[in-house]
Amino acid sequence: MADTKQVTVTAVSDEVGGVAADLARASLALARRFSAGGTMWCASPNWPFHAHHVAVEFVHPVIMGKRALPAVTVPPAADMVASLRASVVPGDIVLVLADADDPAVVETMRRGAAWGVETVWIGAGGRRPEPGSANHVIWLDTENALQASELFVRIYHLLWELTHVCFEHPGLLKPEPECTDEVCITCSDEGRPAEVVSVDGDEALVRTPDGHEHIDVSLIDPPAPGDLVLVHAGFAITAPTQPGRPV
Amino acid sequence: MPETTDFLYPFIEGDETDSGTLLEDLARSAEGKWLQSSALREATLTQSAAQVHATATAMAERFQAGGRLFTFGNGGSATDAEAVAHLYTQPPWGRALPARSLAEDQAVMTALGNDVGFDLVFSRQLIAHGRAHDIAMGFSTSGNSENLMRAFAEARKQGMLTVGLSGYDGGRMAAEGTPVAECLVARSDSVHRIQESQAALNHALWAAVQEALASSS
Repeated sequence: MADTKQVTVTAVSDEVGGVAADLARASLALARRFSAGGTMWCASPNWPFHAHHVAVEFVHPVIMGKRALPAVTVPPAADMVASLRASVVPGDIVLVLADADDPAVVETMRRGAAWGVETVWIGAGGRRPEPGSANHVIWLDTENALQASELFVRIYHLLWELTHVCFEHPGLLKPEPECTDEVCITCSDEGRPAEVVSVDGDEALVRTPDGHEHIDVSLIDPPAPGDLVLVHAGFAITAPTQPGRPV
Repeated sequence: MPETTDFLYPFIEGDETDSGTLLEDLARSAEGKWLQSSALREATLTQSAAQVHATATAMAERFQAGGRLFTFGNGGSATDAEAVAHLYTQPPWGRALPARSLAEDQAVMTALGNDVGFDLVFSRQLIAHGRAHDIAMGFSTSGNSENLMRAFAEARKQGMLTVGLSGYDGGRMAAEGTPVAECLVARSDSVHRIQESQAALNHALWAAVQEALASSS
């Protein structure tokens, strides 16, 4: 018995260091998105119960008087990319609990910028998601599956608690000011992410956070629906990306 | 939530523009709650050690006799029921054991809720599935959910082993005359911290069941 107990009764409190700051930033981002009318889409291919738990926390708060917030579970049997592509609108949140190498999750997160959604990736283990693969990565170092599962519950409980603290600060929930600097790379159409909806010869219909638009794809290899491209001045300027290939 | 940060920002309302202070405050709050959760976890596991051992031994006997584990709960506790069924059937190590969450089938849940009422959604399923060697395990933070009490009563009637995970002071699940044979309690008045310690209890209990099965085979 003593040995068995030690398997699970291991110290867990040291993990909080970096996680606390990541949780703070993610909570403020969630509060901003919710305040602007966003919906949170929760998915966990391997642990659907965690996704269900996150959604029910936000929809039906355990503390009376707290706002019910729109959160939805992506059905575990669904094609995650197809399901979310059909459902999300710019301003939404996609929160995923998954390993770093889950292919459906990698594909989903890569599309976050083109869909205009805030992405949150919660997971554990020595292998972390590639840098920049989500807006918020909240990661635990533990390789112990049971310990990770326990701490995931803590993490999404805290995410809910901190998000509601942010609602007490309405001044900080306003949209980020528009960039008006003429040489600002972010705003200068330098290369906006887009997802191809359909292709007709040298022209393609693509989806961006600003809506659908027609672009010229004659400068790149012919893309297929679902491919990600970068758009500059009405032209696709990068070849379609494949899973595992750098964007 | 007991913590409100209003007192730190006496003159802000809608005019606050610098998020740096709030982010620092949120991170500090997260650290504090994290440590509270760890402390409750250790206290709960320490206080429950003997009961976890006894419960696991009884559960292992049921599994060896061909018994199955049925789990149930409402809301977040329904997801705990799902997590436990997942852990027993698809364990990270050890022996896979038959387990199922009664809250998972939405056709059954909505049929029963609509036709006979929500108080009976779990007990009715135990009437259909239960056998004397089985185990009924219910999760609640208050320990007072009527549909859990009905399910435990039905399980007890059938001779099943009844196991409950509760919070606060245990509630009805731990009160005198309860149909719950073994009620493990995470003693806190925060629903979130209770659920976090219940997750630890679930894992300790599962590991002890595996240990009991390994040492008896």
